[in-house]
Amino acid sequence: MLKRLYRWLDLRIGVGEIVEKELTGYLLPRNINEWYSLGSVLLVIFALQVITGMLLMIYYVPDADKAFKSVTFIMNEVPFGWLIRLCHAVGSNMMVAVLILHMLSTLLMGSYKAPRELNWVTGFTLLALVQGISLTGYLAPWSQLSFWATTVATNSASAIPVAGPYLVEFLRGGKLVGPPTLGRFFALHAAVLPVVIAAFIGAHLFLLKRTGISAPPFGREGTATPFEAQQYHYQGHPGGIPFFPNYVLQDLSSISIYFAVFLAVVFFWPGMPFTPDAFVPADPFKTPAHIKPEWYFLANYQTLKIFPSELLGLSVQAAAMTFLALLPFIDRSPERHPLKRPVFLTLVIAGILLWIALSVWGHLS
Amino acid sequence: MENEGRRKFLGVCVAGATAAAAVAAGYPVFRYLAPRTGQGGAAKLVIPAGELKEGDAKFFEFAGSSAVLIKTKTGELVALSAVCTHLGCIVQWVKEKQQFLCPCHGGQFSTDGSVLGGPPPRPLAKIPLTVTEGNITIG
Repeated sequence: MLKRLYRWLDLRIGVGEIVEKELTGYLLPRNINEWYSLGSVLLVIFALQVITGMLLMIYYVPDADKAFKSVTFIMNEVPFGWLIRLCHAVGSNMMVAVLILHMLSTLLMGSYKAPRELNWVTGFTLLALVQGISLTGYLAPWSQLSFWATTVATNSASAIPVAGPYLVEFLRGGKLVGPPTLGRFFALHAAVLPVVIAAFIGAHLFLLKRTGISAPPFGREGTATPFEAQQYHYQGHPGGIPFFPNYVLQDLSSISIYFAVFLAVVFFWPGMPFTPDAFVPADPFKTPAHIKPEWYFLANYQTLKIFPSELLGLSVQAAAMTFLALLPFIDRSPERHPLKRPVFLTLVIAGILLWIALSVWGHLS
Repeated sequence: MENEGRRKFLGVCVAGATAAAAVAAGYPVFRYLAPRTGQGGAAKLVIPAGELKEGDAKFFEFAGSSAVLIKTKTGELVALSAVCTHLGCIVQWVKEKQQFLCPCHGGQFSTDGSVLGGPPPRPLAKIPLTVTEGNITIG
């Protein structure tokens, strides 16, 4: 039956040719490893966030007077509403975590180097966009946590000279976080950012297909044709393994492992994305003690506290982010094996440790 | 041959596991989206008899749908479904003529719900009511 459908389609639109080119004939490096499947995991996470987000929109009301109530209604009254909401909230945390792992593997295997600078830049932009969508979504439940986390986050823009205070007001749609902030953040979260993220994912994948996949710098002998900077050249892997079925199986097992972890958090640690302030409706006249951002913003939060002036703290963060974004244009040596790049490896490890230390410090302080 | 059998067995296992996963994911979504039971409004409704003057009609929500209570010029109380039996619009009460008119396609009903004219195929459904101590209990 399936074979007949395949033949019917093939006679009309040449499905066989697409399968040959994109699936069985799409060859990957023989020494490709598990880390390369994190991109597929991220695609699944993004799809799941979109689906659960659409489902939440059925009951969620983006109105400051009703938002908290509607979220409570979803959690307590709607059948399986807690499941959909938890999947969305836990999924956003997991998306940031997997994104960081994906970028670390790219860093350590040197896959950001020429000719893949644009893959890195689009990927880095995606990191920023995902942080943006997490931040705007954080306000949606209109709890004390949402309200004050957004107050602090938007307030950091005030450190920018001259335009700062106006910028904060523009972001908030008023002098303070209030109903207008919810409106604009909800529009960004549910309409603008998902579309922009989808477009960047498209560009990221397009670039991946045009340059060809990078071979890991270790493991079995590679299969890559060498890169020449003089003209455009697709980096193929003659003699490599086919994407389908070989690597699809790896993708599927990574996705399964991801689901095991994700569902374990959803079912056994449902409080993970929430602090007690998440269960109190927003009160603009009462700041809760020890308000802290999400774990992935803790390092930024602590950096702001360390520096005597907010402007300095922001500048340091902006400099670090810019350095990372432009890394492929700064680090130009063709060597990609991490052990043969001791300075780079030391910097990466030091960077990770610094980030962890700042996060822990921020959490405890 | 033995390999063929193993392949088939594994195929069935994978298909079964996939189907089970699809059901496990699909059931919560279905329940999440399904209309909520027991949310269709009260099954019984009490209206004080004094609220209604002779010749008047009162529209209200009953069991998740629209209903109407009228007091005819003779003082008789009638409760009817307000949903036109033609295409489901809500009928209007025309006080001067003492009859219902459906604004969508001109269906006309009498005070007891029977069809006076227009396309409706059936009379308006009757809703039982009881009157006790000045209160009208509907349903």
